[in-house]
Amino acid sequence: MDRAIKIRRTLEIIPGALSWGIILFLITLALFKPVAGAVVIIAFDFYWIIRTAYLTTLLVMAYHKLFRERDRDWTAEYLSVGQKKDWQRLYHLVIFPAYNEEPQTLRPSLEALVGSLYDKEKMIVVMAFEERDRNCRDTAEILENEFKGRFFGYQSSFHPDGLSGEGRTKGANATWAAKKAREFIDSRGIDYKDVIVSCFDADTCADKNYFACLTYHFLTSGNPHQASYQPIPVYNNNIWQAPSFARIVEITSSFCQMIESMRLEKFVTFSSHSMSFKTLVDIGYWPVDMVSDDSVIYWKAYLHFKGDYRVIPLYTTVSMDVAYSSSFFKTIVKQYKQKRRWAWGVENFPFLMQGFLRDREISVIKKIRRGFHLLESHVTWAVWAIIIVLIGPLPIFFGGAFFNQMAIGYNLPKITGLLFNFTLITSFTWIILSRTILPARPKEISWTKNVLMVAEWVLVPFIILVLGSTPALDAQTRLMLGRYMLFNPTVKRG
Amino acid sequence: MHREQKIRVVLFLLSAAVFFIGLPFILSSALGYRFNPRALRFTKAGLIAIKTQPAGASVYLDKKLINGKTPTTITELLPGRYHLRIVLEDYYPWAAEVDVEAGKVARFEKIILFPTRLDIEKLNSDNCLSFWFDDKRGIVYYINRQDRGIYKSDLNKEDLEKICDFSGELGVPVRWKVSADGEKLLCFDARRLVVVPLHPQGGAGVEISPFASNITQESIVDAFWHSDNYHIIFVTQKNISVVEARSDSKPLILAALNKENTSCYYDAKADTLYFLDLQQAADGALYNNIYRLDLNTRFSAFKEMLKLRTNGQGHKDKKNP
Repeated sequence: MDRAIKIRRTLEIIPGALSWGIILFLITLALFKPVAGAVVIIAFDFYWIIRTAYLTTLLVMAYHKLFRERDRDWTAEYLSVGQKKDWQRLYHLVIFPAYNEEPQTLRPSLEALVGSLYDKEKMIVVMAFEERDRNCRDTAEILENEFKGRFFGYQSSFHPDGLSGEGRTKGANATWAAKKAREFIDSRGIDYKDVIVSCFDADTCADKNYFACLTYHFLTSGNPHQASYQPIPVYNNNIWQAPSFARIVEITSSFCQMIESMRLEKFVTFSSHSMSFKTLVDIGYWPVDMVSDDSVIYWKAYLHFKGDYRVIPLYTTVSMDVAYSSSFFKTIVKQYKQKRRWAWGVENFPFLMQGFLRDREISVIKKIRRGFHLLESHVTWAVWAIIIVLIGPLPIFFGGAFFNQMAIGYNLPKITGLLFNFTLITSFTWIILSRTILPARPKEISWTKNVLMVAEWVLVPFIILVLGSTPALDAQTRLMLGRYMLFNPTVKRG
Repeated sequence: MHREQKIRVVLFLLSAAVFFIGLPFILSSALGYRFNPRALRFTKAGLIAIKTQPAGASVYLDKKLINGKTPTTITELLPGRYHLRIVLEDYYPWAAEVDVEAGKVARFEKIILFPTRLDIEKLNSDNCLSFWFDDKRGIVYYINRQDRGIYKSDLNKEDLEKICDFSGELGVPVRWKVSADGEKLLCFDARRLVVVPLHPQGGAGVEISPFASNITQESIVDAFWHSDNYHIIFVTQKNISVVEARSDSKPLILAALNKENTSCYYDAKADTLYFLDLQQAADGALYNNIYRLDLNTRFSAFKEMLKLRTNGQGHKDKKNP
């Protein structure tokens, strides 16, 4: 086997092996050395309480910042700095990679751009279709008839299927679209430095202030080409219509992203985001054969700029659809698959480590820190819920009479109970925060849904168990065994 | 660095400090250690976990009142013997000597405190000889000492109904057994069996009238319903017999007993009688043995015995042929 492949395979095995190693070690310990197992479980429980408190505090801070910045007049802000920075030269390229989406799903995304407070004559929009979607030409024509002429540039691109070296990924489609847009930009003689590209999921509705906010940050941040710009993703498009189970999952996802926005040293692009077009071209566009293109693009840039690349959080929202289906079970399956696809971001670890091995300029400390952060976040994701929910009670059930007469045998359920009580307090905070981010209730929705939206938080333990760690462990196991995932776009409704 | 990032760093360091400082205390406490501030070291201690029914009782350990009411846990106890006393007003106190071991928990989690003023309520209005409580229906059956009738009543002294009026007498003590189908009640004393249909109108199974019969000269040790709800197996001081639940039925002796005061158990699910009896061994000595008598009509000789009985023939004692 080629040495590079051996290294890659080794790196692919590490996250899954670590997660499974931790789980099996703790199960063995809990079954055969229940006292030692209980000590580790109590230590982990305590760690998780502290961590939850810390992260909830960050969430509150992020909320505070979001509400403070959401109402800022970003147009006035960028205009005020524009006299020196010449904002007028800037163009926004917005790419919507789409596959199998119908016009009614894509239309609100484009309407949100039309409703933006930013000058549409500075916007270039590309609807990026997959040629293997039989209806794509019809959909493109319908949307072109409605939206062509409303922006500085509007075009539809059709990504051919089966290009050499490509996978059926969103990144391949976005890259094709970006190359088509590049031809348009070249034809207009626009400098790549003056173009900010935003790659949005097909159902992304940007806030009316999004581009103004993005422009301000692009103009004011030092070295804007060495940064990605990450808005807060919320799932408000259909949140009042979505079933409670799916709603809770997506609100929690938004919260996690808000928490991440406060941890800049770990912050990585996710879902819809923006960056310099020049940088995108320099680093060779999005990966065309990886599922987690939204985060890999960050690491590509990070390696390209020798570690001098960052993500700037934008405290403005982009709203997407909650993924749900016609039945409870189908919704769970859909959510599970979506979370597993997100967790497939673990493929970033071998990608980054291989980049670090090739690199000679990034400091070793930086490599260790970033590599550890990435590995730790994925391993923690895969094991925490399993440790708390499934392994935690094992010593109590299987410890036997000897364990039950030990002081630790008596204290373990009490400490575990304390953990859940504490989780209730943080859940209460999350409930209050979730209410404040909701869009106005549509008229056709009964007011009783407000009550349901609070009551549905009792589902959290179930959600933790089903969608907490399992999809991440599934993804890591697949990567470990070399059973690579294909990009499976989530059809958000139906 | 932005202000938020500075706050975050402080928060992170604070969280890390809480974790690393708090963890040794939590783990040592979980393992049963207590910190001795004078000696500046940890000592392994034990604890006592107490739960009472009802809760809210005061706990005294070596005559000292412990903070908090039950359920409670007394922690950080040095190994040794303690006198534990639990007190709740209007309830009898509970006390025990407790040995506390290092790193272990002494569990007293099934303590029931019984009230000093018992709530006793009279349920019948007559002079009662004996009673049986049907827990499935919440009905009390009792024999009136005056008229010897069997009455039934609910727990609120209402719905009083005489269900059986027989002229015979039952001595004390009277024992009661209901058939598996819940339709017939068997009352018996040392000499007599009385069968009472509980639901004369709507009852299923064999239709019988109330009857009482002096069936034996020997004292009845125990009696059981067969699973067919029609035969009654009864054990006297000398025999094991069976009788049908009708007034003109004659008992059939299945086996003779050598032991006068035997003890027996009837497995109603398997229709099997277990009993104790004496038998002389080859060495001439008498031994107490446990015997099993299969009375299942599907698998045993009992069926044949019943046929024989119907034909007016005698029985065979398998134990003493």
